[in-house]
Amino acid sequence: MSSGKPKEEEHDGMSVHSPCKPPPSSASSLPKEQAAQVELELRVLEALEIYPPIKLQGIHRHFVIYGLMEFLKRSFDRHFSAEEVLQLLDRFYNLEMLKTDDEEIDLLNHEEDFSLPSSYFIKEES
Amino acid sequence: MGNSSKDDSATSGDASAGDVQPANSSLYSEGERVLAYHGPRIYEAKVQKTEIRKKEWRYFVHYLGWNKNWDEWVGEDRLMKHTEENVQKQQALDKKQSIDKNVKSGRSNQAKAKSSMDAKVDKEDIKNNVPKGKKRKTDSGAEKGSVTVEKLVKIQIPATLKKQLVDDWEYVTQQDKLVKLPRSPTVDEILTKFLEYKTKKDGMGADSIGEILKGIRCYFDKSLPTMLLYKRERKQYSEVVANDVSPSTIYGAEHLLRLFVKLPELLVYVNIEEETMTRLQQKLLDFLKFLQKNQSIFFLSAYDGAKVSEGKGKGKDDREAFCSVKLKSFSSVVI
Repeated sequence: MSSGKPKEEEHDGMSVHSPCKPPPSSASSLPKEQAAQVELELRVLEALEIYPPIKLQGIHRHFVIYGLMEFLKRSFDRHFSAEEVLQLLDRFYNLEMLKTDDEEIDLLNHEEDFSLPSSYFIKEES
Repeated sequence: MGNSSKDDSATSGDASAGDVQPANSSLYSEGERVLAYHGPRIYEAKVQKTEIRKKEWRYFVHYLGWNKNWDEWVGEDRLMKHTEENVQKQQALDKKQSIDKNVKSGRSNQAKAKSSMDAKVDKEDIKNNVPKGKKRKTDSGAEKGSVTVEKLVKIQIPATLKKQLVDDWEYVTQQDKLVKLPRSPTVDEILTKFLEYKTKKDGMGADSIGEILKGIRCYFDKSLPTMLLYKRERKQYSEVVANDVSPSTIYGAEHLLRLFVKLPELLVYVNIEEETMTRLQQKLLDFLKFLQKNQSIFFLSAYDGAKVSEGKGKGKDDREAFCSVKLKSFSSVVI
């Protein structure tokens, strides 16, 4: 398995073709390396079904990254750093081009005063 | 109906709940108009009966305007006082829900698994409490709309911090006081401190903590103006927070803690898998314990205001002094 720091130069993200093109340097171990990369990318895509990339662009970004880190960690039984996760995503998406979720805009445009749930006051009111 | 059956629970009818008052009385009384969570929305409801079960108050509610089939036993956490503020909350939630829908319907197994558990609980409740002969759709509870409230992440806030939140509420809304800003330590500083502490302890694992803390900081900055302020604090906010400044470099533990009350509502938007969520909850709890451990350092013991408080904590002045000395070592950091 690669160290997870794929060196291949990816063009501007949006292109889907050849994300699994093996790095030229690893010609000797090519089939194995390639299989590992394919496996890795498959998992990433699987994870994206749960954590849609659009959420990476807004308020929830870090918890989505966290979710992806944990997902990959479970799949491959090793640690994935946040940076590594983002690099993997970069093979498929140009994250900067993503627009913010409408749902989120709504969440943040709606102003509401803070209030404590009533359960906090039970003892006080007894 | 209390006399109708020898069923252990059915004796809890109207009369007994009123007569045998346990140590802490129920928050809602029979006949009271309330607001009740059911699924993702809040409904107007009426408390029909109250009783204590397993040391907790349970309420039999009827949803106004809905068929009696929906009537059910619920716990305190499902109910709210019928106040103007809460009605607004209800309307806000309604609005939010209509937008949310698409997201929720796309939810995965974890949600289903949980709601089937809820359904089981409902069934049990019904079995125990509904007088025999009354027909009832057993699964109704879980079926009406997608159940969100139950699905929300539970974040157990330690008792002393809950107390802190109530004091906070008391200062701001009852005594008309404010947290003097800027605070020291700031939210940023507290988060950084925690990360340092965790990095020393866990090494590698701190990477994911770092991400979580960034997430908290981001939530804090974005949600402070829209969710975390009491009405009386808004003016102060507009005075203190200039254009490009992050609230997390001005506000402190008092407001950060409020975020944890709201956190489940925010995290529900990230469709986190159950296993990951469990780990996340653990880490959030770790952080809360850290806050708790440093409660006397991080939190103000008195708020600013016209009247001087009777001094909630002991030795608050020493605390402040200690605090500022200690915090000299903080560098202002972006995490």
